[in-house]
Amino acid sequence: MGLIHGSASFTRYMTEGTLPQHFMEVLSESIARYAFRELDEKSIDERSAGWVNIMDMFDNRFAGIEFLKEPYVAMSLRIDERKIPPTALKQYCREAEDRIKEEEHLEFLPKSRRADIKEAVRLRLLKRAIPVARVYDMIWNTVTGLVVFGCTSARICDEFMVRFLQTFNLQLQAICPFTLGELFLLKEGASLNLLDGLGPTRFLEGQ
Amino acid sequence: MQLLDKVRKTEFLGREFLLWLWFKSETGEGIFDLGDKGKAELWLDGKITLQSENERGVETITCTGEALNMKEARFALAGEKEIRQATVKLAIGDNQWSFVLDSTWMNFRSFKTPRVINDGKEDPDGLFYEKAFLIEEAISAMDRIYASFIGDRLSPEWLTETRSAIARWIRQGATGGVTQPLSAEREMD
Repeated sequence: MGLIHGSASFTRYMTEGTLPQHFMEVLSESIARYAFRELDEKSIDERSAGWVNIMDMFDNRFAGIEFLKEPYVAMSLRIDERKIPPTALKQYCREAEDRIKEEEHLEFLPKSRRADIKEAVRLRLLKRAIPVARVYDMIWNTVTGLVVFGCTSARICDEFMVRFLQTFNLQLQAICPFTLGELFLLKEGASLNLLDGLGPTRFLEGQ
Repeated sequence: MQLLDKVRKTEFLGREFLLWLWFKSETGEGIFDLGDKGKAELWLDGKITLQSENERGVETITCTGEALNMKEARFALAGEKEIRQATVKLAIGDNQWSFVLDSTWMNFRSFKTPRVINDGKEDPDGLFYEKAFLIEEAISAMDRIYASFIGDRLSPEWLTETRSAIARWIRQGATGGVTQPLSAEREMD
């Protein structure tokens, strides 16, 4: 989702620990290692994910240092997926099963045979499917540690956290009301146990 | 405690924060001090989602409207429903942001910054920096406001004053009563 263009939905994180030594020197190399790779038209890979230029989702080469906008590191996580519409898969499977039954003079096909047919049809259709591309922007303030990721889906956010760790060797801590409260208490020099003792407020009598 | 356990155990903090924000904004206390960043005004406007869990299961209501009091939503509060997400308007100086704040993770959805000057055609980096600044400014303001909520929530006054003031405000909403500014309420007390 676009943090730079239009409206966006995003999740926040804080990086844990300090930046690794020689962080800037190896940044280009680390990003290149996990940059987005196009799905090969001839392959049957269903999915590809990696970093692209935040200002241009078709640029995965980072020929310059487009990701570095000090104090930020900014990129997009691009995820391409090939998907076969379920109804199309069903239709092609039925046609293939009917053809085999006719050729082999069979009335029924066993479950295992039908599973094999389904897999063969799926692989054949996968080569014809055009990948759908989605991009999720990421802005990381390397001074404050704040990371803004343009997505709120738990599945994609989990994938982002893994990809971030692989690329930068840094864990991300998801922000939630509790962790935000902890940050406030840390700043105030107060005990973190104060939050652990809290329970929901009963505003109305008889609740 | 694992993060997910913490999130589950303290989910109420996000819900109480949204309630506190709504209460503050409707009782004339929706202006928050941001220190050297000046002041921020905040109010709920647009869609609000409330939810309750009981023996009948989960009940959710969503109210949409621009009416300041959002009567139906106020009525739902009196019916033990809690705020799950709300559309928030935030103003700092001449800039205004709009976003939906979610109570569980404090995620921002449908986040709109003030209009940017740079269209990005001639200076893409200029557009990037302007957007990044506006995103961080809103996050930083919301974090300060949340910190002020946590301060309030941990103070002894939460149980002796704030809780009863919010309860009164909820009851007023259920009967369609007029919301009094908090300052006037304090004088009456």
